[in-house]
Amino acid sequence: MSGMGGGVVLIPLLTFLGMPIKKAIAISIVSVIATSSGSASAYVRDHLTNLKVGMFLEMFTIVGALIGASVTVALPQRWLFLAFGLVLMASWAVLLVKQKERWSPVAEQDAFSHWLELEGSYPDQALGQTIDYKATHAAAGASLMLGAGFIAGLLGIGAGALKVLIHDLVMHLPPKVSTTTSNLIIGVTALAGTSIFLANGLIDPGLAAPVILGVLVGSFLGTRLLVRLHNQAVRRFFLIVLAVLGLEMIWRGLWGGL
Amino acid sequence: MIAMDILVGYILQIGVILCAIFLVAGLLWSWLVTGSPGLHYSLTGSNLFQFWLSDIRQLRAGHLQPELLVNIGIALLMMTPYVRVLVSTIYFAFAERNLKYTFFTGFVFAVLTYSLFLR
Repeated sequence: MSGMGGGVVLIPLLTFLGMPIKKAIAISIVSVIATSSGSASAYVRDHLTNLKVGMFLEMFTIVGALIGASVTVALPQRWLFLAFGLVLMASWAVLLVKQKERWSPVAEQDAFSHWLELEGSYPDQALGQTIDYKATHAAAGASLMLGAGFIAGLLGIGAGALKVLIHDLVMHLPPKVSTTTSNLIIGVTALAGTSIFLANGLIDPGLAAPVILGVLVGSFLGTRLLVRLHNQAVRRFFLIVLAVLGLEMIWRGLWGGL
Repeated sequence: MIAMDILVGYILQIGVILCAIFLVAGLLWSWLVTGSPGLHYSLTGSNLFQFWLSDIRQLRAGHLQPELLVNIGIALLMMTPYVRVLVSTIYFAFAERNLKYTFFTGFVFAVLTYSLFLR
């Protein structure tokens, strides 16, 4: 939903219902595989996703996710609440300052991005034409993706907003390609994180099953609802949700009886 | 790349649909038998391959129960991106004959295989 996955809302909700945060993170990351794969399947077939960009960057996000998830297993609960709250507040800040910027194609690609064949075209339905584009700064994008993967594994979220930001600002991908490619990467990244939580016995299948089905239905309805809602209304809604959840998680990390 | 788009798209879709079918079946079954859709059991630490092995062993022994359906659903979900990466590697190697991307996807596949074998 709007580049903002279910994880950021799901984990605070599950912990609020009394679930230990590590279990909530583990369940959330399994459900992220479902939502990512579900929506990516449609985007890929619509030729919006750039598979090469995705598969190049995946090399970095999965390594980040493996490290992140291993850190989560070892870290005390309190730190995870704090980290989660800080990431929520950072997303809030990004959403607050982010303006709808106009995308314009870059004429010159750096040599490394060119060698990686990071370019493509996609059919833009609104404009009724095929848009050609080239990605740039692959090396910087790749190293930042290591960090995005780390946060995804650490907190059990897709970290889609962060990946989109890297695609947009560093690699200059067109908005549609950027969100759909991030979606593809999220699936394998979440799988890497899931493997660590599974090995540590943190995945509770009886609870994961209804959550997976819930997020699948939710993301299906969400995309349909989103089309009808006004962009500004959605943005304002998320600003409030992120601020409330972020502050609440930080509060519990600092003073909660954990 | 058009053929690959379609291939990858269908792998992801089929994986998610199969997973959902098994999860719904497992939860519905448990609901009909016990009167509550909640299942209460936990997995001890295992990896995806042990997970599959124990599922298959139970199937062959005829121990079909709601928990098994849910386990298969979750295992199928985990297989979905994994198979997607494997098929991409094969596609880059044999259809596109693109050495660079065969290596990249092969690396992702190797790291995932390693992590899914972890215990």
